[in-house]
Amino acid sequence: MPPTSTFNAPTTLEIAISYLGMIGMIAVIVLVIVLVFKMEKIKELLSQTARLKRAFDELDGQAKLIVQTDVELHKTQEELDKKVAGLVTLQKLTRLLATTLDEEELFKKLDEKHVTELGFDRALAFCRDETKTFRLKAAIGYNVEEAERIQKLITGMPLIMDIVMNKQKVLSTADMDRASKESPHLLSMLNLSSFVCAPITQKEGPIGLLLMGSESPYTRLTEGDKDLVYILATQIGQTLENAKLFEETWRAQQELEHKIQQRTRELSAALEEIKVISKRKSDFISAVSHELRTPLTSIKGYASILAAGKLGELPPQAKERVEKINKHSDSLSQLINGLLDISRIESGRQEMKLEPIDLKSLAQSLGDMLAPPIKDKNIELVIDMPEGLAPVSADKSQLERIFINLIGNAIKFTPVGGRIGIAARTVENDGSIRVSVSDNGIGISEHDLRKLGEEFFRVDNEVNQKVKGTGLGIALVKHIVEAHKGQFSISSQLNKGSTFSFTLPKA
Amino acid sequence: MESFVGVGFSEKKDPFLAASEAAKLALYQIHHRPISFAFLFSTIHFAHPRVLDGIHYALGNVKLLGCTGAGVITSDAVRKYGVGLMLISMEKIHFGRAVKTGIQGKSAREAGEEFARLALKDLGTTQRDLALIFSDGMIENGSDLLKGIKDIMGLSFPIIGASSGDNFCFHKTYQYFDRTVLTDSVIGMVFSGENVFGMGLRHGWKPLGRPHTITEVKGNLIRTIENKPAVAIYEEYFGKSRKEIEKTLIEMSIYYPLGIYVPGETEYLLRNILRIDEDGGLLCQGDAPAGSEVRLMMGTKDWALEAGSQAAREAKEALKGREAKAVLIFESISRNKLLGRLTEKELARVKKEFGDVPILGICSYGEQAPLKSLEHYGETYFHNETLAVLAIGEPHAPDKHV
Repeated sequence: MPPTSTFNAPTTLEIAISYLGMIGMIAVIVLVIVLVFKMEKIKELLSQTARLKRAFDELDGQAKLIVQTDVELHKTQEELDKKVAGLVTLQKLTRLLATTLDEEELFKKLDEKHVTELGFDRALAFCRDETKTFRLKAAIGYNVEEAERIQKLITGMPLIMDIVMNKQKVLSTADMDRASKESPHLLSMLNLSSFVCAPITQKEGPIGLLLMGSESPYTRLTEGDKDLVYILATQIGQTLENAKLFEETWRAQQELEHKIQQRTRELSAALEEIKVISKRKSDFISAVSHELRTPLTSIKGYASILAAGKLGELPPQAKERVEKINKHSDSLSQLINGLLDISRIESGRQEMKLEPIDLKSLAQSLGDMLAPPIKDKNIELVIDMPEGLAPVSADKSQLERIFINLIGNAIKFTPVGGRIGIAARTVENDGSIRVSVSDNGIGISEHDLRKLGEEFFRVDNEVNQKVKGTGLGIALVKHIVEAHKGQFSISSQLNKGSTFSFTLPKA
Repeated sequence: MESFVGVGFSEKKDPFLAASEAAKLALYQIHHRPISFAFLFSTIHFAHPRVLDGIHYALGNVKLLGCTGAGVITSDAVRKYGVGLMLISMEKIHFGRAVKTGIQGKSAREAGEEFARLALKDLGTTQRDLALIFSDGMIENGSDLLKGIKDIMGLSFPIIGASSGDNFCFHKTYQYFDRTVLTDSVIGMVFSGENVFGMGLRHGWKPLGRPHTITEVKGNLIRTIENKPAVAIYEEYFGKSRKEIEKTLIEMSIYYPLGIYVPGETEYLLRNILRIDEDGGLLCQGDAPAGSEVRLMMGTKDWALEAGSQAAREAKEALKGREAKAVLIFESISRNKLLGRLTEKELARVKKEFGDVPILGICSYGEQAPLKSLEHYGETYFHNETLAVLAIGEPHAPDKHV
């Protein structure tokens, strides 16, 4: 009997189930494998996410860093902007302030526009008067009532002001310490949230203070604000000082001008008086001279008749006396003629007949005329005039008188064997010719030189003591030269000689 | 008949004299033609009824709108002291005007709605094409006011405007309407005229650091960002304590405002911070919805200048080839602070786009304009730190009626 088996052949269902089971197993294994891989992927992704988050946080951290750096940058930039804008306004203000020299005007020139441009809302300016009381000079951004109230209340607020004034320090609400107790009250009184206060200083020290403030609680005061207010306060101080100096200078000038005017008036009056006196003198001389000349002519005529013996021979003693009368009459006549000439020239009655005159030929002819006395004293006469010298415009007879007087004087005071020079030169850039007559005679002292040219003045020297003269010669020359619109001058050194110069216009 | 626009500016101390001088200068430029309307911008120093008296003295009754700003922009400079007046003589222009006082507080949205209704009523049945508004810059819910206006005029209706300013004191700002000096008010005009106006708005600030999510908001107050007091964002980035940040917050938030990402828009909405509340929440000038993505923004002078050029270019292109007759500029005081002396360079870039056109503007505490202005106008938002440019072209044929 064949062995029997209890093992039944698996049914199709069982086979199918077992296949499915196997497939399921494989699938599970695959799934597990996939899951393992996915888990790895998830892990990786998670770590990537963590990395990204870290990077994101780091970026956020960097953003924070950027913000913090940027804050500082903005702060600096804002400060810089404020400073530049403030400086531009300050420059405008400085120019504006420089246009006034009046204290009241100066404070009026500060207005709300400038205060706003400087980054503030309101401004106050105080100046201390003689009684050391603060006087409100400008209140910008406040109405009249507010300004009056501030003026009244400010007298009880000396602490901050004293610190600013005495220490010459710029104070701002941002850095107040000692005065801080006072500041809240001051701020509410001035209706400000912050302010900067700077002394208005001059050379002698502070004279007042400038306070500039902001209403806005959001305005942050900076060191730049302090600098701006300080510069402006200093500028105001300088302008006030300039105004004071200007006023003093102006007053002094006014006083001086007044004095000059008064003196000019006095001098004009004196001059008028002198002119009147001078005219009277000329008139008097003229009248007297005329009055003297008539009898003198008679005296001279009779003396001549007597001296000529026309009325019979005179005894020798009488003749001698008559000749003396004749001689002295001549001198007197000469003196009177000289006086009359001066009087005529001075009063302008002597008409100058101007004509072109060649100086060289005139000097030569006069040299010839005066040759005898020159020869007598063996004097060398040198005429030094360049060729082609322009003629002068002068009255010939008067010019001859000048030369005769000057050469005559030179002959008189030049020792025997001396030298007389007549020179003429064109004066550069001045349409005139300078003529000089020089000698190497006894010369004139400095003291006498000043008086020479005055009428009747004669130098007290040996020659003048011996030779008589009227003392009118040089005065006459001077008058004639001046009548020609020329200038007359004398230079001399004692015992060395003298030079008499005059200028005449070119023809 | 051709339109004429004249701009006068004066720095005279007395508000009456300054205003009348500016008025006379502007009147001379429009050859003494009839005045359709006028825009008056002044610094806070001139916020006085005598300014309006001065204008009335020089010009008689004119339809006038304007406000105070932290600076007045003229074609040659940004002035920190003075009065600027733009006179417009345009026969064909059609507009409605309105004024609404009492916009501060919870009722801002309602006030905005009321204002919009009044303006539209005054305009009548002609098609409305643009609204120009000036509102008090001291209100904390400028966005609500704008929402109210948008509720009535339409979400994508183009609105441009500025929030008035003072001298950086954030104390009180003023609006001018005809012969009245107002505060806590919104004033404005609704114009009719297709393609007569071109707008451009850009800021140039770029996001910095990682995005954060606003988690809790109450009105304009961002309470928490990522469940931390909102101020922490500034503490982290500046590495300073809250106390230190409080001291310089306004200044810091000018340079580093918060930027809110608006889905679908290319520019971030910028928000300046007004103050920190006791729980460390940040009070903004405009709204910032909860759940929105917020970034710390950073600006550089170059980016800001480039943004200025872009804004001007956009405004010009929006005129579609028409010649600009006048340009109004609303520049954020923050930009002015950032750019410093370069503000005039920005002005030069605007001028480069438009050529020799009368320009007047203010440095504002907030700007209102649509984010996009090319092809179509998007939704109008309340902005900080932007430069908004409004170009006014020559009006054309009679207006369409609706």
